[in-house]
Amino acid sequence: MKKMKAITFVGFLAFILIISACSSQSGGDSGESEGEVTLTIGSWRTEDKASYQKVIDKFNEENPDINVEFKPSKNTEYNTILNTALQSGEGPDIIHLRPYTPGIELADAGYLEPLDDLEGLDQYPEETLAASKGSDDKQYGVPLNISTTQMFYNKKIFDDLGLEEPQTWDEFLTLSQKIKDEGITPISLGTKEGWLLSLSHGIIGPAHYGGNEFVDSITAGETDFTSDEFQSSIDAMDEIKQFFPENFEGLGMEDIRTMFFTGDAAMFPLGSWEIEVLREMNPELELGFFPMPSAVGKDPTITTWVDGSYAINASSEQKEAAKKFLQFMTTEEFGTMFTEEFKMISAIPGIASEDELVNSLSQAVENQSTPYMMLVHFAGGNPSTKATIETELQGMYLGERTPEEVANTVQESAKSWYEPLQ
Amino acid sequence: MRPAMNSVVKIKKQRDWKRWTIHLFPIPALLIYGMFVVYPLFAALTYSFFDWKGIVRGDFVGLKNFKDLFTLEPFSGLFWNAFGHNILYFVLQMIFQNGLAFILAYIIYKKVKGSEFLKIAYFLPRLLSVIVVGFLWKLILNPNYGALNVILESLGLEHLQKAWLGDPDTALISIILVNCWYGIGFGVLIFLAGLQSIPKELFEAAKLDGANGLSMIRKIVLPLMVPSFMIMTVLTFIQSFEAFELVYAMQGSQGEPYHSTDTLAIYFYRLAFGGSAGGSTTAVGLGSALAVVLFIFISFFTALYLRYMQKKQVDM
Amino acid sequence: MNHTIWTRPFYYVFAFLIASISIYPILLMILSSFKTSAEIFTSPLSLPKTFSLDTYRNLLEMIPFTTYFMNSVFVSVVSVLLILITSSLAAFYIARFTFVWNNMIFFFFLMGMMLPIKLGIVPLFILMKDLNLLNSLWSLIFMYVATGIPLSILILTGFFRTMPRELEEAARIDGAGNLRILWNVVLPLMRPALGTVMIIQFIQSWNDFFFPLIFITDDLKKTIPVGMLSLFGEYSADWGALFAGLTLASLPMIVLFFIASKQFMEGLTQGAIK
Repeated sequence: MKKMKAITFVGFLAFILIISACSSQSGGDSGESEGEVTLTIGSWRTEDKASYQKVIDKFNEENPDINVEFKPSKNTEYNTILNTALQSGEGPDIIHLRPYTPGIELADAGYLEPLDDLEGLDQYPEETLAASKGSDDKQYGVPLNISTTQMFYNKKIFDDLGLEEPQTWDEFLTLSQKIKDEGITPISLGTKEGWLLSLSHGIIGPAHYGGNEFVDSITAGETDFTSDEFQSSIDAMDEIKQFFPENFEGLGMEDIRTMFFTGDAAMFPLGSWEIEVLREMNPELELGFFPMPSAVGKDPTITTWVDGSYAINASSEQKEAAKKFLQFMTTEEFGTMFTEEFKMISAIPGIASEDELVNSLSQAVENQSTPYMMLVHFAGGNPSTKATIETELQGMYLGERTPEEVANTVQESAKSWYEPLQ
Repeated sequence: MRPAMNSVVKIKKQRDWKRWTIHLFPIPALLIYGMFVVYPLFAALTYSFFDWKGIVRGDFVGLKNFKDLFTLEPFSGLFWNAFGHNILYFVLQMIFQNGLAFILAYIIYKKVKGSEFLKIAYFLPRLLSVIVVGFLWKLILNPNYGALNVILESLGLEHLQKAWLGDPDTALISIILVNCWYGIGFGVLIFLAGLQSIPKELFEAAKLDGANGLSMIRKIVLPLMVPSFMIMTVLTFIQSFEAFELVYAMQGSQGEPYHSTDTLAIYFYRLAFGGSAGGSTTAVGLGSALAVVLFIFISFFTALYLRYMQKKQVDM
Repeated sequence: MNHTIWTRPFYYVFAFLIASISIYPILLMILSSFKTSAEIFTSPLSLPKTFSLDTYRNLLEMIPFTTYFMNSVFVSVVSVLLILITSSLAAFYIARFTFVWNNMIFFFFLMGMMLPIKLGIVPLFILMKDLNLLNSLWSLIFMYVATGIPLSILILTGFFRTMPRELEEAARIDGAGNLRILWNVVLPLMRPALGTVMIIQFIQSWNDFFFPLIFITDDLKKTIPVGMLSLFGEYSADWGALFAGLTLASLPMIVLFFIASKQFMEGLTQGAIK
């Protein structure tokens, strides 16, 4: 009896081994014929797989002999996976580059191919190219998209309460108070995840430190983070916490998004990539946005940055084919397709979208944009200054730090590596 | 004995021939383990002696990374902060995971009705991936619609409601308790295996001597359970000081909120790999230095403990 | 006698309370997979309104679940077999002999648990590349065997030491070699310990997602956890679908455990009766 059992067990094992061996072999060669090359694209956008396939199909209409495979990996582990592969002389042929510091770090390490002779690069404005320009002043990436952050709002709630988009900071505060008095959460923001704090500071901050002027003078070293301008931006972050949801210190991204699309909260300070998600989750949601009204008498601002570029792996064996693909990514054809398919703002200037909301956002970008200062200029250092402001703001919301301490610590961090401030 | 002499000699000869083959036994394990664990780890430990610019290795700098780790702010502050959290991790796991596991194993061993069900139930959480565990508990502990707060409210205990993972006072403890929830089945299994290898005759003999339940535990169970205790203590010690996956799944790589859930392994990951989603920069040299320090610490105490336990076993 | 009557009910309440805490989150996961996002948020404790399998059907259409499943089974089964063979050989050597270097070898094996293996990921990647194992399931098998050996040796050595010497001596007098003693005498007695190692290592290799994330880029070579991880990106807002994915990822392990648990728990008790 016992032996029988053992025999069946071994038989079962053998069976499993055989099928597994078969199934794992069948996925081998993809039958590449002569003259054909295969390119792989590495990215963190697992959610865009289907859209990229459409882009690839379009590319193949003119380049039928180049197979392109889009192979995204998990967002939070993408850097680890990519860095490991690059350090070992491997990695995808085409690399989706994180914007600014992390991407430039790869370029400076020699893992990327310079693209200066690539056609079509000249159409991008200088600050767009800066997201993937190496310290050697060579261009390493083709900018893909512009992300924006602003205050989203629920139009229905605003209409019901008879509210208008605010034109000044004071109006913004009064409006928030009115919403609160009606028993609705004014601002859907949680402080459990630090990245949400630097992000929302990116929206609120410019209204207080005064937008681009301050950015210009701090990057020139003429002022610093202990200045009154910057201090007031931290104070404002502290002031608005009265409009956050209950238990905000325990809420993360999914929580605040849900509060907003279910109509429990009226405003949502977040990025353009949320538009698609919000619509999908609640097609009835009447979504609007407004640029952040200034507290110091300047124009309202939309916060923008380049959210990714495409680069070529220096150890790729298919550089020519890869360049063809990147070239395709600079064309108007691609830009239009990108805007339509991905519902994001293309980095290529002058591409209009059929989506009303996206279109009015990209128009606002052209007129009222201010950079996401922490990401664009202060993502260096270790721990990075951006990470420092996240932790410090979190400490402030937990009552562990005063707004003054926040500003001082941010200054300390920036001073340790950012030359203009030394 | 005398008449058997011949056969003893024969056996001895055979043994001489077979004696050296015993040294082949650990070879396969040593080979695979050496190649895929020891070699890469020690290759990477040398990183700690170099200056790193991003992910590119620079010059040899001797012990500078170690010095920075302990003297340069914010690195040294973060190190001791995380170290304290690891100690708390160990203590709470010893009490709530291993202590409970022993009691539960003993209850099952005493054959209560439904002990089959209990064994399976305790072990179920261990079947899940840590990512799933982290995700589930994040939901349960959610302040506004999480099951825990909802249950507290229905029991009329509103004043106990909290933003469990957002409050620095409760965040780490919550994670450790989830870890205990996850690991308790394994403890039960090890202790049960230990209990079941105690010869029944010993209990019978003790009963005849008039021992009651408690003194039976003290005189028979505990001494004979030394191997199980040793396994669980060493494991818990190592796992507490390497605590990473669950913390990462629940709170990410920044030790949020406000460094209250930072552990040494999380801190290491942040230094060596730059944290999640590309927000921060890497410091590979400092990260490796931290791993070396962690390694020396764990191996020193593990060695000390093993030596002590061995003596104890010999004494028995 | 009084003592038992007094403590029994307490035992029961305590043991079953903990058991319900153990089970609840898993039930929650399965129940939530039938809910919509809104239901999850507004009534977290209630039963789902419908038990429709549509979410599951959609998921299974989107991902090559059978392929992932087969890969996971292959990797886990082979890893566990290799771990059991290599570790019991080594643990037998460490536990039943007293060569001077035995403690050192034991400690050498333990060292592997004291460093985060992620530290060595770049040398490992280069090693796998040189061995031509990138994008091969064998890269995972080697990693799971190598990282599983320390814990297995710790457990097996501990239990091998408890075995009475006389049994082994008797076999030796009968002229049995080391391999036969291990196979015929030690292993049958150590069923509980072997069962523990087996199940723990199986779970470990089944659930790991770090190594496949790094070593495997080919979609057809992915294992269940990595395949399911991509859902977190795609369904970050649709929690019903997400829970269905999590359930699908966990279910094979749970079913397998229920099938194996009878055998496995029997093994536990048999080992004890001797």
